[in-house]
Amino acid sequence: MMRAVTFFSAFALLTGAAFAHHGWGSYDAAKPVTVTGPIVTSKFENPHAAITVKASDKVWTVTLAPTSRMSSRGATEKVIAVGNNVSAYGYPSTVEKDEMRAERITVDGKTYEMR
Amino acid sequence: MTDAAPAIFIALEQSSFAAAIRQSPWLYLAANVGHIVALVFFAGAVAVMDVRRLGGLAATAPGHLLARARSFAIAALAGMAMTGFVLFSAEASHLALNPVFQLKIALVGAGLVNVALYEFLAKREVEKLAPGAIMPARARMAGLLSLVVWVAVAACGRSIAYF
Repeated sequence: MMRAVTFFSAFALLTGAAFAHHGWGSYDAAKPVTVTGPIVTSKFENPHAAITVKASDKVWTVTLAPTSRMSSRGATEKVIAVGNNVSAYGYPSTVEKDEMRAERITVDGKTYEMR
Repeated sequence: MTDAAPAIFIALEQSSFAAAIRQSPWLYLAANVGHIVALVFFAGAVAVMDVRRLGGLAATAPGHLLARARSFAIAALAGMAMTGFVLFSAEASHLALNPVFQLKIALVGAGLVNVALYEFLAKREVEKLAPGAIMPARARMAGLLSLVVWVAVAACGRSIAYF
């Protein structure tokens, strides 16, 4: 019986907290960046919305949040439409070149939290 | 999308099926939840089978118990495969190149080989056993490998997003 309990517990532990899709582990929180410029492409999609932003130095891919969270925070498809000016504060990817994960974005004077 | 992935995964990610998953407000979420619900059933059924094959739960004969748990495990595995395919399709090119995802798929393969070996080499013998009888070493080995492999698969699944 004890053995069975132990096995079930091991499974339960490993499957815990299973609903958070994406980790922040592959982003360097020690080097936050702010990317500002016009939105070049925009995908309001799952598992994450994403935009590319033409900043002064280069074109950044900015990874945002799942669409349901975006919507509930007011950051709708219109807010991140192509052509809008955005300022995204977040962390550069340690894996993908020129990609960053936004902690928050500001469009038209309004700030939306992504976490 | 990444161009570095094999063409078949790029084609899958660019298919209208995958686009529908990404653009739906609830499909990806539903598949995510469904994947975990199926996992819970799979883990439960497999744990019963593995504990029995390792010599626990021995008050009844193993044949009937294992057969029932096996039906649950097969149904749950099918559920995981289906929901997993939905999740995979949405991001196929990135996932195909993700080292932890590759490891997970290899481990799933190993788990299925372990199932096949047990079915061909040990199952018939185990089904004849009386309650409390000592499990043959082959069955115990299959149970142990199953536990280790499926726990590792679950751990990999959770880790994909962090690599």
